[in-house]
Amino acid sequence: MAQYKRLGGIMAITLATATGLTACGFGGSSGEESGGGTTLDLLVPSYSDATQGLWNDVIAGFEEENPDIDVNLQVESWDNLESVIATKIQGGDAPDIYNGGPFAGFAEDELLYPAEEVVSEDTLADFQPTFLENAQVGDTVYGLPFIASARALFVNDALLEEAGADVPTTWDELLESAKKVSELGGGVAGYGMPLGSEEAQAEAAVWLWGGGGSFGDADAITVDAPENLPGAEFIKTMIDEGATQADAGATDRSPLMDIFVQGKIGMQVGLPPTVGQIESDNPDLEYSVHPIPTEDGSPFTLGVADHLMAFQNDGDKQEAITAFLDYFYSPEVYVPWVQAEGFLPTTLSGSEELADEEALAPFLEVLPDAQFYPTTNPDWQATDSAFKALFGQLDSDKSAEDVLADIQAQVDAG
Amino acid sequence: MKDLLKALPWIGPAVALIATVVLFPVGLMFWNSTRDISQSGVDKGGVGLDNFAAVVGFDAFWPILGRTVVWVVVVVACTLVISLALAALLNKAFPGRRLVRMAVIVPWASSVVMTTLVVHYGLEPYFGIINSFLVDVGLIDTPEGYGWTRHAGTAFAWAMVVAVFVSLPFTTYTILAGLQTVPGETVEAARLDGANGVRTYLSVVLPQLRGAVSVAVLINIINVFNSLPILRVMTGSIPGYDADTVMTMIFKYMQNQRQIDLASALSVIAFLVVVAIVAVYVRFVRPLEEV
Repeated sequence: MAQYKRLGGIMAITLATATGLTACGFGGSSGEESGGGTTLDLLVPSYSDATQGLWNDVIAGFEEENPDIDVNLQVESWDNLESVIATKIQGGDAPDIYNGGPFAGFAEDELLYPAEEVVSEDTLADFQPTFLENAQVGDTVYGLPFIASARALFVNDALLEEAGADVPTTWDELLESAKKVSELGGGVAGYGMPLGSEEAQAEAAVWLWGGGGSFGDADAITVDAPENLPGAEFIKTMIDEGATQADAGATDRSPLMDIFVQGKIGMQVGLPPTVGQIESDNPDLEYSVHPIPTEDGSPFTLGVADHLMAFQNDGDKQEAITAFLDYFYSPEVYVPWVQAEGFLPTTLSGSEELADEEALAPFLEVLPDAQFYPTTNPDWQATDSAFKALFGQLDSDKSAEDVLADIQAQVDAG
Repeated sequence: MKDLLKALPWIGPAVALIATVVLFPVGLMFWNSTRDISQSGVDKGGVGLDNFAAVVGFDAFWPILGRTVVWVVVVVACTLVISLALAALLNKAFPGRRLVRMAVIVPWASSVVMTTLVVHYGLEPYFGIINSFLVDVGLIDTPEGYGWTRHAGTAFAWAMVVAVFVSLPFTTYTILAGLQTVPGETVEAARLDGANGVRTYLSVVLPQLRGAVSVAVLINIINVFNSLPILRVMTGSIPGYDADTVMTMIFKYMQNQRQIDLASALSVIAFLVVVAIVAVYVRFVRPLEEV
């Protein structure tokens, strides 16, 4: 008997600790309806330390105009966002409005309102057409383009001058300039290439698409395709010839950008907020922003748009959601929001208002040549994670063909 | 039966708590492992054991399992050896012992993620303090340092160092508590019989520590097997699956690939492995048996 008691105790300890990891399957239920009005749950990621405050201002303004609607704000880090939303959906507790990246999976599962049902015609007509196209599943727009970013090449002018290198427009020029900068020594790297898990898909797009490839479209993901090979091969060339920082395969983007800001890297692909980061962390850095070099020098940028989307839930909050979204997309509310976060607007009226912003100019310039991830493909999520998990293996003995084939295999299995 | 009914009001809350925070999640985990769950979390029906087949059929599964065994054995063994030495030291009277005893608790008192991040940043090329030190003393000849956390082998080894470091306080204190129950007469008797220090420790003190050591080892095995944050921070940016254990793989299924069904299946496997280890351990070592 005593023996069993002990065994039971140990089993209980084991159970408790062994399940610690998987036990977090259910989130708490969120706020209940209060005071007879409607409550909207808003789940958003944190773009910067200012995000929460910006949303609180929007909500305060909205609630003043619409006293019968309460808005509940929940801010999550990007790392957690997607598991939080999956958990909430699984627990039957989806938010009413959600700010995220990929949305095709939700549309497939018939969880979302089509965009035209949750914003007025005027609001819908104000979005940039290319962004709306990128927000469709089939012929229906489900995502409301929220903010956009584009990539450009940040160049450390001082290092390039010291090395006697020119700002490149083609891959061959990039290789040559980067090698010259690397040869300066002292830990300086010519080109900062972040293939680590943080955002490997972005660096992959910069190279594979810059060589004429693509990840596929809404119907099929085609990573393992001959037109993607030149880009992957050239990444290997850059690494093998010492044009990049050490251990490119496992270097994450944000820490590497910090090193660029410290002035130890010749060239690296960056985002609009990088301008603000340099401004605050190292304003003395002599740098300039240029279009991304491609194989043949033709202009191209990787555009990314995040989206707002409305979940159907019980289907009784459509009017309140419409009121909130129309309020948010009015230029007086929307433009300051985008501006404060340092991103690019997705509305026509927003672009007009920001046209004379000096810091954003190089990015607004390349925006017409933007290509997007195939986010409307239901397999995009699997593709994204396959790139994060496997693309860095280019920095190893593995051949470019094998790396692309492995990524394709993981996508097809997912 | 009547006794049970009488006891119910007293054990009821505890039973309810165990049912909701232990048994229910376990049940749900088993249930999810046999379902097809979409990426956005919608249950699309049962698939029997397909998820288990997918998890075990994954190329990296067996290497990951092997690495998990290495991880547990090395970390627990190193922790135990160092803790035995530390506990023996702390059991001696010396000036400042109280301060040293406090210092040993520090890794326990600080968050594991914090401790790991401190080491992780120290290992960063360009600005990490450990890299700078190794460059300054001439052990590394690249001026930006070496990418310790960028290579599967070195990152895994450093993760083990951190895991041992954070496991020390609990193990040391458990053994120290055990040491204080060793009667002084037994040691004195051994001395009188002419045994030297080493002999006394191995033949007289260590056997009496059996209870403390076996409990410490058991709890460490479970803890280390289930440890996620250290490996997640240390090996997180490495491509491929060359530095993963079962726990980080569950996390990758869940967080990166959002395959809750596969993550649950692997969790069930991990759970069964832990239960099996503990059952064998309890059967043969009898950690809770009186000496």
